[in-house]
Amino acid sequence: MEKLLEILETIQPDVDYDTCTTLVTDNYLDSLAILSLVAELEEEFDIEIPTVEIVPANFNSAQSIWEMVQRLEEE
Amino acid sequence: MSYQAPLFLLLFFPLTLLAYQLVPQKHRWKILLGASYAFFWSISGKLLLFLLLSTFSIHHFGLWLDSIRSDADAVIRAAEKPQRKALKEARKHKMRGVLALGILLQIGTLLCLKYANFFGANVNLIFRGLGMAEVIPTFQWMLPIGISFYTMQAVSYLTDVYRGTVNADRSLGRLALYMSFFPQLMEGPICRYSQTAEALFSGTPIRYESLTRGLQRMLYGLFKKMVIADRLNIFVNNIFNDYHEQGGIVILLGMVAYTCQLYMDFSGIMDMVMGMGEIFGVKMPENFRRPFFSKSISEFWTRWHITLGAWFRDYIYYPLSLSGPLKKTTSACRKRLGNHFGPLVAGTMALFCVWFCNGLWHGAAWSYLFFGMYHFFFIMLANLTEPLTRKVLDALHIRRDKGWYRIFRILRTCCLVCVGELFFRANGLKAGLSMFRKMVTDFSIPAPQDLALGLDRYDLLILVVAVLIVLMISILQEHGIPLRKKLAAVPVPLRWSIYYAALMAVILFGAYGIGYVPVEPMYAGF
Repeated sequence: MEKLLEILETIQPDVDYDTCTTLVTDNYLDSLAILSLVAELEEEFDIEIPTVEIVPANFNSAQSIWEMVQRLEEE
Repeated sequence: MSYQAPLFLLLFFPLTLLAYQLVPQKHRWKILLGASYAFFWSISGKLLLFLLLSTFSIHHFGLWLDSIRSDADAVIRAAEKPQRKALKEARKHKMRGVLALGILLQIGTLLCLKYANFFGANVNLIFRGLGMAEVIPTFQWMLPIGISFYTMQAVSYLTDVYRGTVNADRSLGRLALYMSFFPQLMEGPICRYSQTAEALFSGTPIRYESLTRGLQRMLYGLFKKMVIADRLNIFVNNIFNDYHEQGGIVILLGMVAYTCQLYMDFSGIMDMVMGMGEIFGVKMPENFRRPFFSKSISEFWTRWHITLGAWFRDYIYYPLSLSGPLKKTTSACRKRLGNHFGPLVAGTMALFCVWFCNGLWHGAAWSYLFFGMYHFFFIMLANLTEPLTRKVLDALHIRRDKGWYRIFRILRTCCLVCVGELFFRANGLKAGLSMFRKMVTDFSIPAPQDLALGLDRYDLLILVVAVLIVLMISILQEHGIPLRKKLAAVPVPLRWSIYYAALMAVILFGAYGIGYVPVEPMYAGF
């Protein structure tokens, strides 16, 4: 989780990732940030994030991103 | 027959409601399907065949995809772990082929019917330029109503089955209703199978609350459409059809009036569609969220025709920008160009495709392609200059989402949107450019009588009051005030007085009858 927070901080520093649950809905993470994030997560955690996973529910909070990463790591 | 027509409002819709409520719940979907096909037939007649073919096709391809998946899954489960990856790849490859074929049939039909003449005309133009004879004949094809909308729904259904986010539907009736539900047939919203299919099929009984809430929303939509949009139609037509005779200031007024007309027309019809859905217990995705409060063009497209933007995002933008080659580009560029400019390369390529398709989706003409490229340019520009903008604002201690700078951003977005709509409405790209040139070079002050253009004082007064009402409601909604909830809490006599007042406003001040031309919903033509 710490590594994920580090990645998020480098991509979009102006957000409180401990409390924010509307990262996509409120446009803190725009489509370009999502592209960066996906590339970084795939590299860091050696996973493949398919298009079907790119939904607000998976990217709206640090926790939901982390849960998606863990799920994809297990697959 | 369209949604604001008396035949629809006073006969077709009430009869459908009555029949729906009278039959047993398990058969209600048949009433909706019958009404939907009757509605389609009333507008497009025998072209119903295209809708049927589209429906049969996605039903068949959905089941095909499903059977490949279940057969392959059984083999994968029985296989040793090292072999599974190869088997999964083979499954993906096979399913991708079937999906491509299914989509090709849908998009191919749309391309043939909607775009063949446009491409043919341009190829012929090239041939003529080279001194050769024209090779492609022109076809006199009629377009089935809503083909651009139901084709998008068909493609989303097939892709979702391929992705495994929905199961293929074995019920042809349910799929047929998802494709043809009459309130959304003409102008959308573009729904996903997972959003509406189940609710459409369930036959939810009509209750007092759903009926009154639905009618309330329909009334508001009818007010926007008939009192504002249809009244502006005369003024807008006079300017756009006769722009040679108008000065720059009149064209500027025409541009703003058209943008207002398009919004009131499309969002008004959407309110009616949502209201009808609400009555049948079907919650469709919203298509508008007060777009003229947007602070940038990209935000505008998350508030205007939302379901179209979401469709392009989910089925073109992300699949393209996260495809193998572009993903590699992003990774490579990020290392060299950093977090902002790195993903911009792949993002911009995908964005170009999105806006090319978006422009073309609106119509087979260069002006629509220009419209798409216009928005692509401003979104790309904002992306490119974002780091610089941020630095400048930080240095000047300006907060972008607060105070005067926020208002400046909203006004700037409105201006850019209006100019885009000028090209969108103009009778061809050449006319659009000519109007734009006039607008920025000819500042001659028009005489007051030249400004009327088909509207008298009575019309102007109604327009100003009606627009102010919609603006006030929008501001309250923008501030998160739940107006409909508040209205529901108002004592019954006062609440019903408001309903009657709104109904009377539409009946008395609606732009119909002598002196007005009936205006079909504007997006139905797309």
